[in-house]
This record gives sequence, C-alpha cells and structure tokens, in this order.
Amino acid sequence: METSFAITGKGYVIVAADTTSARSIIKMKSDEDKIKTLSPHLLMAYSGEPGDTVQFAEYVERNIRLYHIRNLYALRPSASAAWIRRALATSLRSRKPYSVNLLVGGYDTSEHTPHLYWIDYLGTMSEVPFGAHGYGAYFALSLLDRYHDPEAPLEEGLATLRRCIDEVSKRLVVTPGKYKVKIVDKDGVREVEL
Amino acid sequence: MNSLVDRFSTTSAQSEIRRAQALAADDEEFSDAAWGSEAGFGSLAKGVPTFSVPSIADPSAFLRLHTDDHADPNCRIKIQHGTTTLAFRFKGGVIVAVDSRATAGSYIASGTVKKVIEINPYLLGTMAGGAADCQYWETYLGIHCRLHELRNRERISVSAASKYLSNLVYGYKGMGLSMGTMICGWDKTRCRVPAVFYVDSDGTRLKGDLFSVGSGSTHAYVSTAAGHRDAFSGNTCNLYHIKEDGWHFIGNYDISKMHYDGPGDVPGGPGKGYGYDIRVEGRSSANPPPVAT
Amino acid sequence: MSIMDQNGGSVIAMVGKDCVAIASDLRLGNQALGVSSNFQKIFPVTDRIYLGLPGLATDVTTLKERFRFRVNMYTIKEEREIEPETFAHLVSSTLYEHRFGPYFCEPVMAGLSKTPSGGYKPFIAATDLIGCLNFAKDFVVAGTASEKLFGVAEGLWEPDLEPEDLFETISQTLMNAVDRDAYSGWGCVVHVLTKDKVITRTLKGRMD
Repeated sequence: METSFAITGKGYVIVAADTTSARSIIKMKSDEDKIKTLSPHLLMAYSGEPGDTVQFAEYVERNIRLYHIRNLYALRPSASAAWIRRALATSLRSRKPYSVNLLVGGYDTSEHTPHLYWIDYLGTMSEVPFGAHGYGAYFALSLLDRYHDPEAPLEEGLATLRRCIDEVSKRLVVTPGKYKVKIVDKDGVREVEL
Repeated sequence: MNSLVDRFSTTSAQSEIRRAQALAADDEEFSDAAWGSEAGFGSLAKGVPTFSVPSIADPSAFLRLHTDDHADPNCRIKIQHGTTTLAFRFKGGVIVAVDSRATAGSYIASGTVKKVIEINPYLLGTMAGGAADCQYWETYLGIHCRLHELRNRERISVSAASKYLSNLVYGYKGMGLSMGTMICGWDKTRCRVPAVFYVDSDGTRLKGDLFSVGSGSTHAYVSTAAGHRDAFSGNTCNLYHIKEDGWHFIGNYDISKMHYDGPGDVPGGPGKGYGYDIRVEGRSSANPPPVAT
Repeated sequence: MSIMDQNGGSVIAMVGKDCVAIASDLRLGNQALGVSSNFQKIFPVTDRIYLGLPGLATDVTTLKERFRFRVNMYTIKEEREIEPETFAHLVSSTLYEHRFGPYFCEPVMAGLSKTPSGGYKPFIAATDLIGCLNFAKDFVVAGTASEKLFGVAEGLWEPDLEPEDLFETISQTLMNAVDRDAYSGWGCVVHVLTKDKVITRTLKGRMD
C-alpha cells in the first residue's frame, strides 16, 4: 500500500514517500522515486492511480518550470500549490480525471517560512504542519499530533519521521519496504538517507 | 460442493438452523421467554441459549438487510460502528480505556455510552461492533464464569473465560454476529499474571500485551489522539485499572477537556492540554535570518 | 456515503436587529479522519456581505475563487460595490450554470443591504447546490449538521436581537448542533455584521 508523509520544522520541510511500484499483487519496482523537484525550493510527493501519477506530476513539473523560464523567478509555494490544486479540480470534472494525491512542500525564500500543502485527488487543499496519504495516515497523523514540533531542528524532525515509518511498518499489514526522503530548506532541495 | 457441506456438516449455518428449528419444535409449548426468570438467557440447564433463526438459506444475508446502515439508513437494527477501545498489560496490571460515543449515521446518538462491561469483580470486557451482541454475550459469559466458580471452587482464568466466549460466538459464525472485544483480568490461581485476550465474532482469539479495537484503533495504537482524529469516537473516556484484587474504575474523562486542559495535576502529566494546537501554541516553523543590528 | 458528507462542515446565518450573523465550524475531514482544524468556509465578499460555503471542500475552494473573480468584474464594470440581493442572484446563476454537473456546495449568505433612506437592512439567503434561492426572514442553515441546526435554531432564535445577543444565540446554536454531528466541529468561527463594523470571533469547540 502506497504511503507518503511530510512534516515541517524550523525552516524546512521533509517529504518522504515509499519506493514501491505495484501492479495488482506484484511488486514491479522497489526503487521508484515518487517525489518530484518542481523548482529550486519546491517538492511534490505523488501517489494514486498508476499512470495518472507520473503523467500529472510531469505536467505540473513542466508548467512550473515554464513559469520559471518565462519570468526568471520561480512561483512561490503557496501560488504553486493553488495552481496545482486548480489543475486537479478542473480535471475532476473532465472525461477522465487524474486520481492523484499530493503533498506539496516548499520553502518560501522571501518570507523565510516552510509551507506544506495536503492535496487529494478531488482538489481538496489544506495547509498543514504535517500531512500523510495512504493507509499510513491513520497511524502517522495521531502520532504526529503527539510528537511533532514546529521548531524542531532537522535531526529531530528526521527522528520523528523515522518514528512514523517504524509505526507504519509495525502495524500495517502490507507495508512498504523502503522510503525516499527529501528535504527542502533555504539552501534548496536535497535527498537524505534515513 | 457447498450444498453438500451445508446438508451434512454439523457446524455450518444450515445445520445450526436445522438444530434450532428442531429445538424450537420441541419447546413449542413453553418457550424460554415464558419462564421469565431466565431473563432471555435460555434454559441454563441445557447449556446454551437458543434463538429462533429465520428459515431461509443464508441468515447473515437476511440479517444484513436489516442491519447494514451503510446501504439503508432506515434499517431496523443499528450496529454500533464507531468506537475506540484500548487495553494493555503492564507490571501493575491492566489498563482499559474506551470512548463513549454512539453514532447512527453521522448523528451522535449518545455521548455517554458504557463500552466496558463489568463481567464480574475481576473480569472486564470491552465493547466494539454490535452493542447488543457484546452486551448479551459478555453478560452470558459472566453467568458461566460464576457457574465455573461454584462447580470448581476456583476462579476461572482469563484464558478460559475468553476461550469460552470465543467458542460460543464461533458457533454462530456466518450468522451475522458482530463483536470485537477484549477480555481483561488478573489470574488469581496458577500463573498469577495480568492477561488481555482479544476475541472477535470471526472466532479469532489472541493473547497479547496491547490491543486496540474499533474505527479509532489505528490512532489509539500510537497516542491519545483517537477521540480527536476519528469522527466516530469521542465525548468521554472511561478508564479502568485491573490490579491483583480485581478491577477499579479510575474515572470518566472528558476528551475535549483533555485536549484543552489535560488531566490536571497527575504524576507524569503534561501540565497542559494534550491537543496539538495547545501543545505547540506560539511555536513557529518560520526561520527568518537574524536581523543585522 | 453522500459526496456532500465527504469533508463535513456546517454553516448558519441569522438575522438580528439591524445586524446579521454568520457562523461555521472549522473541520476539514476525509470521511471519518480529521485532516485540518482550521479550514475556513466563510469568506468576506464585500465589507457588508459574507458568504458561507459548506460542502465538498474542493468545490468550496473553487467557488470561493470563482465568486471573487465575478464580484471583482462586477465592481470594475459597475464602479460600485455589489448589493447583497444582487450577489445572491449571482450565486444562484453561477450554480445553475452547472445544473447537470453541479458543484457540491450549498451557499449561505449574510449581508446588510442599503435602503433608499440611507439606512441598512439585514439580509440572509441560502441556495441549494443548483442555485434555488431561499430568502428567509429568521435564519438559514446548511451542511452536514443542518437538521440539528434547524432544531436548535428553531428553539433559540427570536426576533430583533441586539448584536451581542445575536452573537450568543448563533454561537450556542452552532456549538450545540455540531456536538451532535460526527462530521462537523473542531472549533467555530462567528462573524457579526453591523452597520459600522464586523465582529469576528473564533470559538473553542469540542475537539472530538
């Protein structure tokens, strides 16, 4: 079962997504990267219907890039999230809607604040201090209610994330094996090993 | 193949109906209810209570027509779906915590439901799934625990009690019973340890250290937030502690009060509310560079 | 499971003496799972019109954006602010445009409309999801707790309430109604509109 988490902390957002690509009962791939870097300070984790996910993520990636090229500056996280949400909401009432759930995390370099947006396939959007998609959400959200700290330094944030992942692997029947973890902060985007 | 099993097996739902019908025919003149004093628990002399079963092929499908309020909100029998119940074992005994919300669709029908059934002074059962199923069978279990005591001059072990319940409900498997319960207690004789058993209407019976059952169980496994996150759990929390001398009712805690104010002055308490927004009030993840002076 | 119950949420508006009030809960859910306790469903349209949008959250956001655009266009073209009655018809026709594939929202409006004598008259209205207007003289409700809101409001509301009394009445109505609804709650926000100011208060509600 696909699971993705994201948490904010002091000046950063950590985004994590499992790396399995499944087709019915078969694991097709175990090192799939399901987090896209949309701009120098913007990450997006995507999950949902196979096919739709990558198509939609690439569509978003290219449009955000196009904006950057045309204007010489990147779209800010709040504006990017609003644009992505609108794309999903429009698609919902089309002949073939995209079934994609997203976590958009970014660092706003002009107000020095990390932002995280929880977006589902209907186009429901909410800015949250932490978010999760998939069955993992049922465990992770209440764990984060208890342990998340908005002022946690990066090490502490990663430890909290590890706690979420451990809890999900402990309680969920079909548990994803590996996770890819990316961080966005004032220095941009980077990947870390847990 | 299945029809063959139905016809000749002694444990299938079909044979259960046949047996029940045969019994009903025997008892036609005086039903259990007529004897009043048995309070619907059937003739205890015969061992197990019997129920009139609809004479159709698939009793659980028939029952579903009247109980599944997902499909039909006007159904006659409401099954209690949303619940959070939690029990765990530790050195000092067993802690049992349950919420008190009952919902019918999105309507909160009650916020003061008792979801812990006090089977006897040293055994507790929790309630998730069908309220009536849990209440009836756990009360019935209480009767038999007492009979066990009288017959054997010894208190029944938690293991035996839970096995008794498990066997009982297994006999009705496939007929629409719905219960997920935890039987908790402290064994006085033999092993002398606290014990928690999970028993459900599928016939599963598990011994363990920590269980959580109900729609809010996923939240309860990791923190105190179940009543907060799950729409179908909440209102108040009933807390019990089982010690060597039996269970003690600790208290009834308002979950919203816990969110805003916390448990008050207790050892190990946070000193303020458990709620996320209360806990992190005034903290910000903004990281502005230090202002040059 | 109705699509109108997917995210939960409720809105109520009430008329007072030379004032109106509109209030909503703050929950955003994903069916039984609560996601956010700060999801605004009431939006200011002008200084004297507030619009509440309970229903499917994606359409709440989309409609908020659409109405902002349409009201801005109206203001530019007409070179004046829109009146509540006019806005109600704008809402109605916007929703009816999608008659065969509707937005799953039931808007509730509260405002003060100008009278020819220069005073202000309270105005409330609600529509169903395809834009059937309902101009009420007392109160209007919508959302997952609407039945409960009707019940409590019917018992508590009375004519000609002063702003502070109206605030108390609408708050008590909303808080008690959402406490009986599994999909609404997680805090409330109340706006009271009077001729010279808008009072906005966030209420601590039950968090379960």
